[in-house]
Amino acid sequence: MGDHDTTLSLRAPLFPEALEQVHDLVARLCDTASSSTIDRIRFETAVIEIANNIMEHSRRTDPPSDEPRSFHIVLHGRPDELTAEFRDDGRPVVIDFKAISMPGEDAEAGRGLALALATVDEVTHEHRDGLNIWRIVCRRSA
Amino acid sequence: MTEFTVERTERGIGVIRPVGRLTMVSAKQLTEAVAGLIDGGTARIAVDLSATEFMDSSGLGALVAGLKTTRQAGGDLRLAAPNEQVLTILRLTNLDKVLRPRDSVDEAFDRG
Repeated sequence: MGDHDTTLSLRAPLFPEALEQVHDLVARLCDTASSSTIDRIRFETAVIEIANNIMEHSRRTDPPSDEPRSFHIVLHGRPDELTAEFRDDGRPVVIDFKAISMPGEDAEAGRGLALALATVDEVTHEHRDGLNIWRIVCRRSA
Repeated sequence: MTEFTVERTERGIGVIRPVGRLTMVSAKQLTEAVAGLIDGGTARIAVDLSATEFMDSSGLGALVAGLKTTRQAGGDLRLAAPNEQVLTILRLTNLDKVLRPRDSVDEAFDRG
């Protein structure tokens, strides 16, 4: 377990190409913060699912615009937890967390948020000051 | 960048091997590889995950789609050698019962 705090961040346009950069950043945090295999699986899975959701739903498409949208991600590795915060200025997203459930076996999509909720301790979303703000908390297992 | 190798064994089984991350970025390549094998007459397909570092829900979706298309073509899709992360998300989504991972490509079509 890491005994000091680690912070990593990235700002990039809301393009799917940025997903690999987010993934590299999460991998670097997990390496630096000496996370256990199970905590890494939980945190990496949740962060990538939320990043996918942002790329899929927040990229501004209505009205059509060439104006680039961007996101900012900050990752923290602390002795007791791993956290992520995404802020994006894309289309406002409305999430009803109570309505999220794991789709059936033959579904080809729709598992992302359910998987994020199943892997970490907290996933929250709010829309404030024109930004979607997602927070993920993964408390380290003993 | 995720690479996919595609082979056909002497037993007539197609083997797709994703090397790297199987995510929203690369899942379409898996779907294309499955379609390519089926178009070539190979509907029994093993996805060799021994070099797959990470999979997300898009990768799972591509596997479910592949399972349907292979079965429609009279074949099947099986998984081999997933790592702990892949096994974890298969269990959390209950897809371990449908995609039933085996330890190796050789075992993927041993039973049935």
